Amino acid sequence: MQSIVNLFRPLLDEITLLSVYGTVLRVSLPILAVLVVLRCAKSLLGFRREPEIWAWLRLATGELLPVTHWENVMGRKKSADIVLDFATVSKNHAVLTRQNDGTWTIRDIGDRGKVQINGKQVLFSQVAYGDTLDLAGLEMVLEPVSQEEAQLQAGSRTKAGKGQSPGLTLALLTMFQLLAGISLLLHMDAEYTGKIAMAFGILIATQWVMFLAQKIIKRSGFEVETIAFFLMTIGMAVTGSKAPDSLMKQLIAMGIGIGIFLVVGFSLRSLEVAKKVRYLAAGFGVVLLLANLVFGTEMYGAKNWIYIGGFSFQPSELVKICFIFVGASTMERIVTKRNMLLFIAYTAFVGGCLALMNDFGTAAIFFVCFLVIAYLRSGSFATIGMICSGVGLAGLLAVKFFPYVMRRFSTWGHVWEYALEGGFQQTRALMCIASGGLFGLGVGNGWLKYVAASDTDLIFAFVSEEWGLIMAAVMIFALAVLGLFVVRSATVGRSSFYTISACAAMSIMMMQAILNVFGTVDFLPLTGVTFPFVSNGGSSMMAAWGLLAFIKACDTRQNASFAVKLSAKGGEAA
Amino acid sequence: MKTLAKRTYFALALACILLFGLLTFLVRYALFADRWVTFSGSPHVYTREGTLNTGTVVDREGTVLLSTEHGKQYADNALTRRATLHLLGDREGNIPSLVIRNYAKYLVGFDKLNGTAAMEDGGGELTLTVDASVQTVALQALDGRRGTVGVYNYETGEILCAVSSPTFDPDDVPDIAGDTTGAYDGAYVFRFFNTTYTPGSIFKLVTAKAALEEIPDIRTQTFTCTGSIEVEGTPVNCPKAHGTMDFQDALAHSCNCAFAQIAVQLDRSRLTRAAEQAGIGDSLRVDGLLTAPGHFDVSAAGDNELAWAGIGQYTNLVNPCQYMTYMGAIARGGKAARPYLVAQVSCGGKTKYKASTSHTGAMIQAEAAAALRTMMRYNVTEMYGAWNFPDLEVCAKSGTAEVGKDANTATFAGFIADPDYPLAFIVVVEEGGAGSTTCAPIAGVVLKACVNVMDAER
Repeated sequence: MQSIVNLFRPLLDEITLLSVYGTVLRVSLPILAVLVVLRCAKSLLGFRREPEIWAWLRLATGELLPVTHWENVMGRKKSADIVLDFATVSKNHAVLTRQNDGTWTIRDIGDRGKVQINGKQVLFSQVAYGDTLDLAGLEMVLEPVSQEEAQLQAGSRTKAGKGQSPGLTLALLTMFQLLAGISLLLHMDAEYTGKIAMAFGILIATQWVMFLAQKIIKRSGFEVETIAFFLMTIGMAVTGSKAPDSLMKQLIAMGIGIGIFLVVGFSLRSLEVAKKVRYLAAGFGVVLLLANLVFGTEMYGAKNWIYIGGFSFQPSELVKICFIFVGASTMERIVTKRNMLLFIAYTAFVGGCLALMNDFGTAAIFFVCFLVIAYLRSGSFATIGMICSGVGLAGLLAVKFFPYVMRRFSTWGHVWEYALEGGFQQTRALMCIASGGLFGLGVGNGWLKYVAASDTDLIFAFVSEEWGLIMAAVMIFALAVLGLFVVRSATVGRSSFYTISACAAMSIMMMQAILNVFGTVDFLPLTGVTFPFVSNGGSSMMAAWGLLAFIKACDTRQNASFAVKLSAKGGEAA
Repeated sequence: MKTLAKRTYFALALACILLFGLLTFLVRYALFADRWVTFSGSPHVYTREGTLNTGTVVDREGTVLLSTEHGKQYADNALTRRATLHLLGDREGNIPSLVIRNYAKYLVGFDKLNGTAAMEDGGGELTLTVDASVQTVALQALDGRRGTVGVYNYETGEILCAVSSPTFDPDDVPDIAGDTTGAYDGAYVFRFFNTTYTPGSIFKLVTAKAALEEIPDIRTQTFTCTGSIEVEGTPVNCPKAHGTMDFQDALAHSCNCAFAQIAVQLDRSRLTRAAEQAGIGDSLRVDGLLTAPGHFDVSAAGDNELAWAGIGQYTNLVNPCQYMTYMGAIARGGKAARPYLVAQVSCGGKTKYKASTSHTGAMIQAEAAAALRTMMRYNVTEMYGAWNFPDLEVCAKSGTAEVGKDANTATFAGFIADPDYPLAFIVVVEEGGAGSTTCAPIAGVVLKACVNVMDAER
């Protein structure tokens, strides 16, 4: 690689750098990025939400009602999953749940005493196929979806990746990566050529291996991963520009991160496994935080680092994954156990630990994630308000962080008046954003790399300066696409466990991006939070991949996700 | 599940906040990016010393005064370097060039599409309205004395000359901090814009304006000067007894006794109004630079002090650039063109900025202006010597401001009443002795140089 670059150096010296950018790189990089992200967005946000049918309910009239989720609220309400518009039926009458082994249970959640199976009144019971359900006088029979029907259904649902071939998108991304790598090599010292070439090579190889492996297990939805790899490409170039020596560390973190992604993803295929992992995760989170409190070291004002054998790492990043496991809940639990005391207690514990560590940014992320989960589970803002005031968490945090926050707030909104003091990072960031224009000054050709922590905290400006504002905007849009996708797929979600955990994961990512980007441009105080997949940081990278697994697990498009079991064996279109 | 799906819109709000924030930022970028990029310390635009690291500055004839091709390069000629230093700023940042900084966004070739990428081509070209040759003539004419010379076209607003002395060669910086001779006192100050002076008798042009506008029979009044007149029991003196004279001769002889009487006749309010109309206390905006505001306040003055104020003493202060503009207003019969220093800025073959002429409000009534023009021409022919200005219809007024013992500031201000050479000027020499003797010859050679430039451009 080095010899090839050296071969071209004299030629490149002849042409001014500007003309190279003007004609090829400056324009083609944003075009490729826009293409890649738009293709992903089109298939993630434009797919037809075709429900999966898990069973049928045959009414006495002969009418067949499809059962389209693993967890179905039955009732008179329009928003029920199985709408039974009969005067005697309660608004929310019962929950019909598909268990992991394919059997069904029913739980009375209405006025109590108005659910009968084969003439016997029950509060909670197994339901076998052929059983007659009686909901306040309305009779129906649970009927299975036959093997042929299932295959037919799988075949008729639109397969993920139809229309926007994920392979082509990945090929475009690979082109983008090659150009970005070349662009970076041109601006960096020759001594780093090997490291940079290796980093981009491994990145490209990894994504293709993952893509092909999923092809083998008949999964064709790769948009979520493609977005992650797109963001990581920018991240690799940022790290390569500022700290080429950390590239190896980033690659290792990527490897571990993908490992977590796969483990979490596979554990989410079955709710039984997921519910077991839940307790493990809760315990692991506690251990991580306690270890952090005991062995932690302070860096940049927050004591949220642990050093082990020359490696530093941030336990609170991984706690995010544990936190989601604790917060997510199945529909049955939501409707029967309305209180969230355990989850609130867990949140209070996490918040308390972060307060002791002085990590305001991360605390804010957990708090927002908590609010999202609490609302999804309770559905009432009033409850959330009560929770907030009741726990007094916000107040506790505010008191604890007061001096620290005030320091940050003192320059917030006035960075130009403190351009050489508290506003130094933000003003340099804005200057460099402007200097970069829409197309950037060239990957590796920025100045912001000489500002401390710019490859983590000032990512938006770093990318704007070197890649241009278009790329920085595409980067944010790409992440937002993941968030929008989660919300869009909620209506075809199998279980509330998946919907809640995916929403929680996306909330954490959105919140990180909000704090990171808006801190850089002085819309918010600078909190030193990382941008998922882009910021240089091992723990952050691992956590981002872990969070991605939850998003992957809510992707119920046909044959889309390895983290979602196929509804029918060999359920591919014939 | 349907209910839950609806609740997920709460989480959607976060994604929307992110996208909305991005949009807001893009709007802010469109509005303010040029300010951010030219803010002091902007790494791609300024060197560590705070000087612009790209672009070329040329004078009206295209002579390069400053370029950045190989670091910061000033003109080849040492005299030109000294004569244009205050316009360009020094390397160390002791003399800031606010004018250049004001156009930095164009000069660095910044545009919101390409950022500062065009800087790699050497940036843009800023054309000043001054002429390097006139600058050097003016600096030589000042001959090492402290002071300033300014000339501008009162029809268009172009400043042809703005020289400040003392100055130094930025390529051979003297030991200014360690200087004890006084040769570099205030060398970092751009006197034309940033200093105010006690005007002395040139201020009688304001008092005369007030008299012409406010006292109907002023031109038929006569004044008797015995060399001294008592106002409120304290004398106001003239260098000699001027005898009996009319208003025109009172101005020509610059008779303090006569103008003391006129000032008292006018009283505080009418004199104050005239000073306000002439813009004495105003700060002019010249290409982003604000001139030092002058001062006229007789609200607490007794009659004696009012008399002194009317002859340009007391606490009066004027800024050279602003007073020169007042001269332009007299010449044009009311409104002067606002002075400017930057003719245009181009970058990458495109004109990014081009100056346009704008005018001040009415500083003097047309009839009073016409009368003053005649009187100021009479001053030159009768008193200062038209030989100083061969072939030029120069109208002027001199002043000798007392600012301390043996430290008179010599002042001289006026204009050429000729549509072919519509030039207004001001000359100030600190510790310069008598105004007309010291300054009139300087004005003569500088105006001649300006006229030559204008002729050459035709």
